[in-house]
Amino acid sequence: MRRLKRWGVAAVMAALACGVAVHAASRPPKFMYQRLQLPNGLTVILNQDRSTPIVNVQLWYHVGSKDEKPGRTGFAHFFEHLMFKGSRNVEPEQHTSIVASVGGQANAYTNEDTTVFWQTVPSQFLPLVLWMEGDRMATLRIEQDTFVREREVVKEERRMRIENQPYGRLNEIIYEQAFSTHPYRHPVIGSMEDLNAATLADVRDFYATYYVPSNVTVVISGDFEIDQTINLVNQYLGRVPKALKPVPRDIPREPPQKAEKRVVVEESVPLPAVVVGHHITYDGHPDAYPLHILAKVLSDGQSSRIYRKLVYESGLALTAFGQANLIEHPNLLYTVAIVNPGQSPAAVEKALIAELDRMKAEGVTARELQRSKNQFARDYILGRETVQQKATHLAHAEVLHADIATADGEFDIFQNITQADVQRVAKTYFTPESRVVIHIMPKGPGAGGARPGGQP
Amino acid sequence: MRTFATAALTLTVLTTLAVAQSSGQWPREFPPRPLEPRPVSFPPFEVKKLANGLTVVLVSQNEQPSVSVRMIVRAGAAHDPKAKMGLAMLTATLLDQGAGARNAEQIADDIDYLGGILSTGAGTDLSYVNTIIMKDDYAAGLAMMADVVRRPTFLPAEIDRQRQQALSGLKVAAEDPESVAGMVIERLIFGFHPYGMPGSGTPESLQSLTRQDFVEFHGRYFVPNNALVAVVGDISPADAMAGLEKYFGDWKQGDVPPFTPIAPPEPTRRVIIIDRPDAVQTEIRVGHLGIPRKHDDFEALDQAVKILGGEGANRLQQVLRSQRQLTYGASADLNSLKFGGAIVAETDTQTASTAEALRVVVDEFSRIQREKVHDAELEAAQDYAVGHFPLTIETPDQLATQVLNQLFYELSVEELPRFRERVLKVTPDDIQRVARWFVRPDQLSVVLVGNAEQFVASLKGAGFGAFERIPIDQLDILSADLKKQ
Repeated sequence: MRRLKRWGVAAVMAALACGVAVHAASRPPKFMYQRLQLPNGLTVILNQDRSTPIVNVQLWYHVGSKDEKPGRTGFAHFFEHLMFKGSRNVEPEQHTSIVASVGGQANAYTNEDTTVFWQTVPSQFLPLVLWMEGDRMATLRIEQDTFVREREVVKEERRMRIENQPYGRLNEIIYEQAFSTHPYRHPVIGSMEDLNAATLADVRDFYATYYVPSNVTVVISGDFEIDQTINLVNQYLGRVPKALKPVPRDIPREPPQKAEKRVVVEESVPLPAVVVGHHITYDGHPDAYPLHILAKVLSDGQSSRIYRKLVYESGLALTAFGQANLIEHPNLLYTVAIVNPGQSPAAVEKALIAELDRMKAEGVTARELQRSKNQFARDYILGRETVQQKATHLAHAEVLHADIATADGEFDIFQNITQADVQRVAKTYFTPESRVVIHIMPKGPGAGGARPGGQP
Repeated sequence: MRTFATAALTLTVLTTLAVAQSSGQWPREFPPRPLEPRPVSFPPFEVKKLANGLTVVLVSQNEQPSVSVRMIVRAGAAHDPKAKMGLAMLTATLLDQGAGARNAEQIADDIDYLGGILSTGAGTDLSYVNTIIMKDDYAAGLAMMADVVRRPTFLPAEIDRQRQQALSGLKVAAEDPESVAGMVIERLIFGFHPYGMPGSGTPESLQSLTRQDFVEFHGRYFVPNNALVAVVGDISPADAMAGLEKYFGDWKQGDVPPFTPIAPPEPTRRVIIIDRPDAVQTEIRVGHLGIPRKHDDFEALDQAVKILGGEGANRLQQVLRSQRQLTYGASADLNSLKFGGAIVAETDTQTASTAEALRVVVDEFSRIQREKVHDAELEAAQDYAVGHFPLTIETPDQLATQVLNQLFYELSVEELPRFRERVLKVTPDDIQRVARWFVRPDQLSVVLVGNAEQFVASLKGAGFGAFERIPIDQLDILSADLKKQ
């Protein structure tokens, strides 16, 4: 589903600068990897790490919900499910149980830009995993009855994740209000009506279009022999036929928003929520890095400005959070606050906008900037402990930045950001015209923002 | 090679081995054989003790330039005094909201500025304080951690603030079907035993907590002879010990009162429906008492429950999801704690299939109890457990957690490297013996959180004619009939 960004980044071990005024970040070790391309177009990245006798294999299919056409939403995620429904040599539902039978773990996820299949297994089972992945890339079984049955599982997933959770529709509401044209407008899980309308031919066409080697990056991270692994990759993935046509990238662009957008929606939520967001740029754009710093100071965690102001100091909100959703195409930076009983959504909105305005007027302090850099350094280091994390960072750089070097290079980009950079991006993006304000109000009898605390 | 035997087991899914025909030149073939297995060894660790009784675990691993310090204190929500539910949880929450010379804001800012992480919390049996810090900041991290563990200030303003947060949290949790279902099933299984009480408190209990309560709870339990600490990461054992001596060596011992919880009640076999008319799905919990973690049959019963609903096997998932498409996920867990345990199955399903899904879950409890498991099924579950083991010792924190768990439950740390032998010695006969003894389909309690109107009529046909129906806003976890008076 919509996921927080992970950043794969590092730099060479360097002397630690322990100045008087600045507490500089520790440097993580540099990634060691090899990158190769097979004749069928498949990209392969190998990251040898011998610390534990296990191996993680990830296949990133560069297809997500933003590749879906109107009336056919939810296909990318639905396909993630279908990939477990058997192929020429693997029976339906056997993929996961075969991996489990050797002690491994396998799963998959889908977001706006990619569909990712991963498994971690004891090292000796690397051939098994590559064989199964090749099998389903080339010969997936797409049959009417599995297709119909799996659709019911996806509907349960939607009920569980979204409809049956308080505030479960928050993301959907934000995106359907903020976007008019770009497919980021619709949720990754898609519309159940669209899935009901899907035909077997649609599904087969989606597979033939996007599930082709030239649209896939496979990353192998862990304890393996490099030459042997290159042979295995050639043997089991190199034989997948080359695509007959190029992968389409005709995704409609979002026209610039010309005026502030304000909406009030009613939902079954216990307390009102206020969203203030702005359209921003995409992952990898030079502005993206200061925007990450800005979002961290503004809205990440309990020491963030909006949490301190709205929750801690004024008591306006039960909680307040936000993020810069920097992904492949231009997206949003948004802040959310859940309105405390007895407080008004209008006051909460005003307080959120005041913090965004303050960012334009004052930027961040030197200490806030350094603190954010240190937090980023921490997240890089702690986010690269496992072979799965390492593979994810490499794949992210390769697939979404189209430049694997960013997996190591971004560390320095972050550490070189200045206060002026942060203030500049605040001024660039936090304009009234790009603002989206949403009030989500409880519906039903007796509901309302000013509901007193205590028992009904 | 046992693991290879089970990989070969998957061959039974292949009916023929023939040359490719229809789908291009793609061959019909067996899965490839595994490579030579690589040795799995549990990395070295040390267990020590400071003079004041603080137990210390040291694991050195220098891949990333960070150090993780994890401390657990042997007191959690189960130690909440009667009518003071939520005390352990709020005490832990307050630890880093003012300690030593720092106020809450300074602690949060300092740890972020160092590029570290500080977290505190309470579970059922224990409380914890975890710090992750870059290796050059080990001393600064320990200094802050020592303040938080030893010198929390419990300022009245912070108590009020955190109490309000906890009260608001209760309001949200009261409408969250998963947390309501979890709270009610524990209450049904454990009755008024401490494990049946809500660890996050009730509005009344949270309101009743005073500063004195926090000071006393902390003073009673947060003493070195009641705590364990693990230091893992990019640091030598000598440096790790020197830091602990400096910041925790003068921590004064205390007399920890013995903890003797009342016995859990006789099983009530109640079916409780928490009515939530706007629900589109029903949260289902089914369970009964299990065994504590330190128990001779833990390994066998744990494997039995894994066959019922755990990773590597999971009959519930096979029937409920793969065969009948009734759910996105189903599982069962043997939740074994210090003073007792429970076997609980959980799933969710759309409202209309509530009775069907519940029937399936209960039938699977009966099947695991009645029928001997097949060799192949047990072997698959064991191969999962054995093969999975290296995946559980990958990071320094995972290692530390494994060692701390053994120590916390008073199990032998020498057992850790013998994981494989411990798993493989369980036989189908062992599974049958413990399943017959500890799995009791006739003692199950049931919780259904969902839109009652839409499924109560079908419950009787599924064999659940007797049930109690409670509107979600009338739930009172502490009353005998679970209803507000």
